[in-house]
Amino acid sequence: MILKNVDATVKRETLYIAAAVGVMSLLLQSVFLIAQRWDYTVLLGNLLSAAAVIVNFFFMGLTVQRSLDKDEKDAVTAVKFSQQIRLLMMFVVVALGAALPCFNLYAVIIPLFFPRIAVALRPKFGGQTGE
Amino acid sequence: MLELAIGIILGCCALGAGTAMIAGIGPGIGEGNAVAKACEAIGRQPESRSAVTTTMLMGCAVAETTGLYALVIAILLIFVAPGYLVNILMNTLGR
Repeated sequence: MILKNVDATVKRETLYIAAAVGVMSLLLQSVFLIAQRWDYTVLLGNLLSAAAVIVNFFFMGLTVQRSLDKDEKDAVTAVKFSQQIRLLMMFVVVALGAALPCFNLYAVIIPLFFPRIAVALRPKFGGQTGE
Repeated sequence: MLELAIGIILGCCALGAGTAMIAGIGPGIGEGNAVAKACEAIGRQPESRSAVTTTMLMGCAVAETTGLYALVIAILLIFVAPGYLVNILMNTLGR
């Protein structure tokens, strides 16, 4: 239902971010395995955080898509509101990851930065940057 | 005296976490301005909508990372730092 109205650009970029986060999560798991620090909490923490960042990016895409149809003032308000709500969502997710013993804190925190790395690597994977 | 020291540690950690979260306001303002300019650009050239959306998404993701840095610092100050600092205090006092 929601996906029907999603712009193709938002879908494409979310898929790219999801794929990049997946690959980097595998790398993270490998690092924990090599360092002999791996246990189920690392996997759970990574899954929680990776899911949260992908959902966060998707919601951001939806907000941007909808804001582009509004006038400037409404767009600014909508994006600010959305950012605050998404930050709150991330806070809840990370706080859960830190408070519950079934999640490894470092495996929760590190994947939060995967989208930033994916964006930095975007031009190398043939990503359009506006041209 | 020990209780006071622990209280000061906890209070300072909470204050630090709250102060760090001020940085969470910045990305909202930045993203808002960027989207406003994008609306303006699409209004001028509607055919560039897809390219503008892609650039906007990537820009917003970059801007949002700043808020996430603040979030991570706040979480570490709330959940990790008090334990470490209280341990250091206990070790220093030999308890």
